[in-house]
Amino acid sequence: MASLDIQMTVNGRPVKQSVSPHLRLLDFLREELHWTGSKEGCGAGECGSCSVFVDGVLMKSCLMPVAKAQHSEIETIEGLEEQGKLNVLQQAFQKTGASQCGYCIPGMMMAATAALRANPYAGREEIKERLGGNICRCTGYQKMFEATELARDVMNGKLTIEVLKEENEEGPFIGSNSFRIDTSSKVTGALKYAGDMVMPQMLHMQVLRSPYPHAEILELDTSEAEAMAGVEAVVTHRDVKGIDGFGVFTDDQPVLARGKVRYVGEAIAAVAAEDLLTAKEALKKIKVRYRQLVAITKTEDAIKPGAVIIHDDVPDNIVMHIPIRKGNVVKGMAEADFVIEETYYTQAVEHAYLEPEAGLAYLDADGTLVIQSPSQNITHHRQKLAKILDMPVNRVRMIMSPVGGGFGGKEDMHYQGILALAVLKCRRPVRYVFTREESIIASAKRHPFSIKYQLGLNRDGLIQASKIHMLADGGAYNCSTEGVMRKAAILAAGPYAIENLMVDAIGIYTNNTPSGAMRSFGAMQSQFATECHLDLCAEKLEMDPVELRRKNFFKEGDETHTRQELGSVSMLEVFNSALDLADWETGMSNSRGATRSDLAQSGNRPPCTLGARQIPLETIPTGQAS
Amino acid sequence: MLYYDQYHVPETLDEAFDLMHTNGGNYKVLAGATDLLPWAREGRGGDVNYESMIDISKINDLSKWQLQGKRINLGANVTISQLLNNPFLRKHIPVMAKSAVWFADDQIREQATLGGNLVNASPAADATPPMLAMNAELRLERKQKGKIIHRKLPLDEFLTGPGKTRLEAGELVTRVECDSMLGYGSAFEKVGHRRSLVLSTVCLAALVSLSDDGQVFEDVRLALGGVGPVPIRLKESEACLISQPIDSDLIDKSAVLAVKHIQSRTRQEYRREVVYNFVKRGILGACKDLNTTFADIDTDMKHRGNYG
Repeated sequence: MASLDIQMTVNGRPVKQSVSPHLRLLDFLREELHWTGSKEGCGAGECGSCSVFVDGVLMKSCLMPVAKAQHSEIETIEGLEEQGKLNVLQQAFQKTGASQCGYCIPGMMMAATAALRANPYAGREEIKERLGGNICRCTGYQKMFEATELARDVMNGKLTIEVLKEENEEGPFIGSNSFRIDTSSKVTGALKYAGDMVMPQMLHMQVLRSPYPHAEILELDTSEAEAMAGVEAVVTHRDVKGIDGFGVFTDDQPVLARGKVRYVGEAIAAVAAEDLLTAKEALKKIKVRYRQLVAITKTEDAIKPGAVIIHDDVPDNIVMHIPIRKGNVVKGMAEADFVIEETYYTQAVEHAYLEPEAGLAYLDADGTLVIQSPSQNITHHRQKLAKILDMPVNRVRMIMSPVGGGFGGKEDMHYQGILALAVLKCRRPVRYVFTREESIIASAKRHPFSIKYQLGLNRDGLIQASKIHMLADGGAYNCSTEGVMRKAAILAAGPYAIENLMVDAIGIYTNNTPSGAMRSFGAMQSQFATECHLDLCAEKLEMDPVELRRKNFFKEGDETHTRQELGSVSMLEVFNSALDLADWETGMSNSRGATRSDLAQSGNRPPCTLGARQIPLETIPTGQAS
Repeated sequence: MLYYDQYHVPETLDEAFDLMHTNGGNYKVLAGATDLLPWAREGRGGDVNYESMIDISKINDLSKWQLQGKRINLGANVTISQLLNNPFLRKHIPVMAKSAVWFADDQIREQATLGGNLVNASPAADATPPMLAMNAELRLERKQKGKIIHRKLPLDEFLTGPGKTRLEAGELVTRVECDSMLGYGSAFEKVGHRRSLVLSTVCLAALVSLSDDGQVFEDVRLALGGVGPVPIRLKESEACLISQPIDSDLIDKSAVLAVKHIQSRTRQEYRREVVYNFVKRGILGACKDLNTTFADIDTDMKHRGNYG
C-alpha cells in the first residue's frame, strides 16, 4: 500500500510519520498521533468538533486531506493549557458550565480562541458569528458565549481572575455556582470517549445494514468475506449462543437480523478486520439474498384488518395500548357548552448527540467480556447480554464511557451485542465507531404521534370532558415504546382537573426506523397537543389563554387523571412567577398584532438578531472611485 | 469515505496537466476539498476510490488577482475568505464580500475557493449570482500536444445544470474575470434554514449604478440562486428599471417579473414571497449603498400573495 511521509508541528513539537495518503488531518491527529482531543462529530464540516488551527488559521480538520497540512503548524485543544494549568478561556468555560457532555468543547474552545485572537474586544454578536461553524446539542450556546465574554474581560483586565473561581468551594453547593466534576478533563481534551480509546491488537468493525424496510433474508453467505486477508471475524445471528433479543421493555430485537429485516438500516452482519478499509471491503463481499415484503410506513395502515404482520408474535401490530378512563366522557361532552376538536401531528426527531455511537470491547485476562460504550443503560444491557451470549452475568462487564450527549438515544443496545459477538469469535479487542450517517439511520428516534383531541368546555372556561386518542409510530422494534405510551397517556391531559376523561395511547409497529426514548419520553408530544388545544379553545372562548389555564389547574385535594390524590399543589404559584418573569401581555393570543410589544423592555431580551455579522460595511467602499 | 493511493501537489499548471495526463483518468482534481470530502460519504458519493488526487491549491499563479482595464482577473484559487477580507477586492467587487459573509462559516471560507464554488455548480452556490451579475467569464485551460491552450466561456454558458458544467476532460478552470464594480452600489440577500453552514434556499445579488443626481437607474444587475437548476440573471427585471427613475411601482414590477423564474422542486410558494421581497430589498439596498435617499418608496418586506 502506498504511503506518504508527513512532517508537521503539532502543539509545538515536530512530528514525522509515514501514513496512508488518504488520511484526513483529523485521522492523522487521532489515529496516528493519538491526540484525540479533536473529535469527529459529522465528518462533513458541519459540526466543528474537529476544529484546529493550521498555521494560525482555524480550520475543520475533517475537511482537510493530511497532505494539505504538510509542513504546517497545528494547534489542537491539547495545546491550550499554559504550564500545565487551564488557560483563562478554559477556566471561563469551566466557570459558566459551558462544557456539558464535552464532545463539542474541543472545537468550540478553538473557535472561541480564534474569536478572541481575531478581535480581543469582540462583542456578543461577533462571538456568536465566529462560533457559527460549531454545533453544541447540550447548552443552547448561551454558556459558551458567556464564557467567551468572561475570558475576554479577564484578558483585557476589565475583570480580575477571581471571577473565574468556583463559588463556595467547600459548600454549601445548593444555590451556588459549582463546577462539574469532569469539566477540566473536557476543556483540556484529555477525557477519552469510547471512539478515542485504542488497545494493542485492536480490530475495527463495520456493519452491513439492510437497504430494505421489510424483507425476508433468503440467503446470507459470508464465506468470501471471511476468506479475506486481514479479516479476523464475520458475525451473524448464527453466532448467538444464548437467547437472542434485546429491548428496553420486551426483547423483540435480535442482535443481528434473524431471517428478516424490519427497517432500513437494520444490522445484518458485521466484520472485524485489521483496519477500517479492509472491514469496509469485506462488507461488500457478504452476499445477502432478500425477498422484499410489503412495508408498512403509516400507523393507520398497520392497524387495518389484514395488514402485513411485522412481528409474528404480535398479529395486530400493536406494541402497547395504554387506556385511561375516568368519569363519563359521553355525558361530559353532552353537558359542555362547546366541544372543540382538532388533530395534531408530531414528527420523528433525531437526537443528534454530537458523539456518534462508539464502543470498544475486549476480553479481560480472566475471560470477562468488557464493553466500554456511552450506554445510558449499562446494568440493563449487561443482563440482556448475559442472556444473549449464554454467559454468567458476572462474566459480562459494561463500562459506561463518557457520554457525548445521549438525550435518551443511547438507551438502546444497538451495537454492544454485535461487538460482543465479534470479540468472542476472534478473542481480540474490537472497536466500532459509527459515522454520523450510520448513527442517524440505525438509532431510535422520537416517536411521531398523531393525536386526536376533543375537549368539552363551559362558557366560563371550565373543562368538562377530555377525549384524547393518540397513535404513535413505534417503528420496527419496541425499544422504549411501551414506556413512552405510559408517560404519554399519564401526562396527556396536562395539569388540569378534569372529571370526565378518556385517554388512549397506542404504540404501533411499522417498518420505519425504531422509535425510542427521547427527552421527555412521550410527554412532549401529548403536551404539545394539549397546550395547542387550550390556546385554540381560548381563542374560541375569546379568553386570555392564561386565564383559561388558571381556571383549570389542579388544586390541593384534586385527583390526578390516574386517581392519585394531590396533597400539595404549587402549580398556580409556579405559573404566576413564570408569567411575571416573561412579562406576559394579557389578552387573547390573536388580539395582539403582528409583533410583540414586550421585547427589548427593561429586564427583557431584544428581538432575535439572526443577521450577517456586522461586517464593518462602512469600510467596504461603496463604489466611489478614490 | 474518500481514499486514494497518491496525493500530488503540483506547483505549476504545467505540472498539474502532466499529472492529469499520466494518471489517465483515474484522478480527481481538488482545491479546497470542502465539497469533495462531504460528498464522498454514505448517501451521496459513498465510498469513493481514486488512484490519485491532484491538489491545485498550491499553484501560486491561481491565487493571484489583478485589475485589467475595467475587469478584475481572479485566480481560481482565491479563497472565499480573501473575497471577504482583502481590501482591494472589497473595493472593486464588494458584492463578493457581502456574499462571502454568508458563505458556510469562518473556517470553511479559509479553505473553499472561488473556482471550486463555481465548478461545483450547485444551484444554491453563493458565489455564482454575484459573479453572474458582474458578467463573469471563465478561463478554461488544458494541455494539448505539449502546449497549454485555453478557451473562455461566460459563466452562464459554463453552468448547465445541478453539478453540471461544460468543463471537459483534462480541462481546468484557472481564472475568473469579472467587471470591476467601482461606481456601483451592491447588496446580497440570502435565506436558509439557519445562519451558518447552510445552503441558500434563495440568494440574490443586486448591483445598481445611478445618474449623477441619484434619481435615475443607469444600470441594474440582478442575479438569483437557489430557485432552479442553475443561478440566473434577471434580465427582464433589470430592463424594466434601466434608464428609469427610482420609483416604487417600477421596483414592484421588477420584483414581480423575477418571481416566474422559480423552478425549484420544493417550496415554490415560499420562494415566490422571498424572491419578490429580495429583489425589492436588493435594489433598494444597492441604492442605499450609494447613499441615495428616497422619500416615497415603500421599503417594507411584505406578503404580496398575488404575482399575477
